[in-house]
Amino acid sequence: MKNSDNKFSVSAIKNGLRSGSFSAVEIAEEYFERIDKKDKDIHAYLRLNKKGALEAAAWVDSRLKAGEALPDLAGVPIALKDVILSEGLPCTASSKILENYLASYDATVVKKLKEQGAVILGKTNTDEFAMGSSTETSAFGPTKNPHDLERVAGGSSGGSAAAVAAGMTVLALGSDTGGSIRQPAGFCGAVGFKPTYGAVSRFGLIAMSSSLDQIGPFASSVEDAETLFDAIKGEDSRDATSFDLPDRMIWQKEDLKRITVGLPKEYLEGGLSKEVGAAMEKAIRNFEDLGVIFKEISLPHTRYALSCYYIIMPAEASTNLSRYDGIRYGRPEGAKNLLEIYEKTKGEGFGEEVKRRILLGTFVLSSGYYDAYYAKAQRVRRLIRQDFEKAFDKDTNGVDAVLAPVSPSTAFKIGEKTQSPMEMYLSDVFTIPANLAGIPALAVPVKDHEGDLPVGFQLMAKWGDDKNLFALGKSYEEA
Amino acid sequence: MTIDENTIEHLAKLSRVKIGERQKEKLASDLEGIIGHFKELTELNTDEVSPVTGGTDLMNIFKEDEEDEELLSKGRSAFPEEERGLLKVPAVFEKNDEE
Repeated sequence: MKNSDNKFSVSAIKNGLRSGSFSAVEIAEEYFERIDKKDKDIHAYLRLNKKGALEAAAWVDSRLKAGEALPDLAGVPIALKDVILSEGLPCTASSKILENYLASYDATVVKKLKEQGAVILGKTNTDEFAMGSSTETSAFGPTKNPHDLERVAGGSSGGSAAAVAAGMTVLALGSDTGGSIRQPAGFCGAVGFKPTYGAVSRFGLIAMSSSLDQIGPFASSVEDAETLFDAIKGEDSRDATSFDLPDRMIWQKEDLKRITVGLPKEYLEGGLSKEVGAAMEKAIRNFEDLGVIFKEISLPHTRYALSCYYIIMPAEASTNLSRYDGIRYGRPEGAKNLLEIYEKTKGEGFGEEVKRRILLGTFVLSSGYYDAYYAKAQRVRRLIRQDFEKAFDKDTNGVDAVLAPVSPSTAFKIGEKTQSPMEMYLSDVFTIPANLAGIPALAVPVKDHEGDLPVGFQLMAKWGDDKNLFALGKSYEEA
Repeated sequence: MTIDENTIEHLAKLSRVKIGERQKEKLASDLEGIIGHFKELTELNTDEVSPVTGGTDLMNIFKEDEEDEELLSKGRSAFPEEERGLLKVPAVFEKNDEE
């Protein structure tokens, strides 16, 4: 499906709406038609929001007709990962346990999008409670990769990535706990961004691992991803971890000639497929043509990140998921007492991967094992964070950004890794460190890549340097 | 570290999740493999390392303790059972029939 329909950029829609080339309702209808045509095969969407979308689009048209100036995202179609609440729409987290749950309020990011006049097309597929790297743990079936329907779209935000890549939406939101935006973006050939921890409010995001989760954008270009990020970022009193990004000088074109980008040897030696290795070299050459200077660096604790993550994330997830106890979100039939309500609800409602992580999290937090696993992982997390702090330290000749592959290989076959959880976990090996360190990371598809499947690279920068990553990413795209 | 079906039963009890008989063996071997992987962390001496206890370094973030009537009523409407403006939950303590 290489000749996917013409993709509208945010600015094309903005200009078209204002010049009268088309209306917001026409754009929304066009996208629903595409979804009707393509999504039978891809399964990016769990639920469409036709009525709400057409109403929002009609509102935009009426405002424009009245001559009002509207924000950039007015009339722009967007899809939401099904862990983000939009009032009145189902929010299932791709789990049977929330199959009948209707969101009773808007997430802060959704509120902001609605205020901008964005048109929410629907809710997209994800691994159950965002736990997975392929959307195969979704209780409602996997999302297929638009470039090869026998392969996974990646995960957990696979539906959002596939919807953008197949031209079934202009923009999408996902969440990234250990790579869940960047990895599917890389597999599907979309741009995906994990912001600095705290840059975007998570109020109204179904929590998995609270010290790692971030909401972020998907788009077909770095520019559009930045527009969406700008629309959703900022402090929110309802998420105490959120803050306004510090004002910093943003790199201009002439600055790029002075920029040094680190190539961490731990990400590049061994373990990379030939195709990914060759694509990385190509991306590096393109950056060099822009004047960017590369330098080999070491992030020595990288290899411990996976173990560290698979202790901290399940510990937090098992705690967060205890709220799905049969009391708050619907009661089970035939339970005789409170304990039975709990056990029956979770036993029947959660899928295998969710149960695995709940048990794992309970194990690392349980008496006798807490110090050896959970407390140890919290200390290793400090070492991983310090690796990045040292790498970016200007006083010791540090780098401005780091470039690395998103994943060790291209999209794998559906079913290839479902029997071995450890093998599935390893597909996140390059994306996890940024979450543990809390730093921003931007995944961009390698240009002019000759293989059948897309390859993505990611740029990471120090805490709060989100806007500089967009500047760097845009210069690559435009070159 | 050996994880067997008894360990799974214990963890299932702690986390209040019912695990089917047939799932226990697979989960035991999965967990044993994953936890075995964690052994590599013992290579690192972390005695002098301070733990990262959350995602943020922000401290003392407060907000006014104000009732948000709109959000409250939306939250209430999503709750399964309500009686006289109160959320209704199943009994926690039960009558002991032997008494």
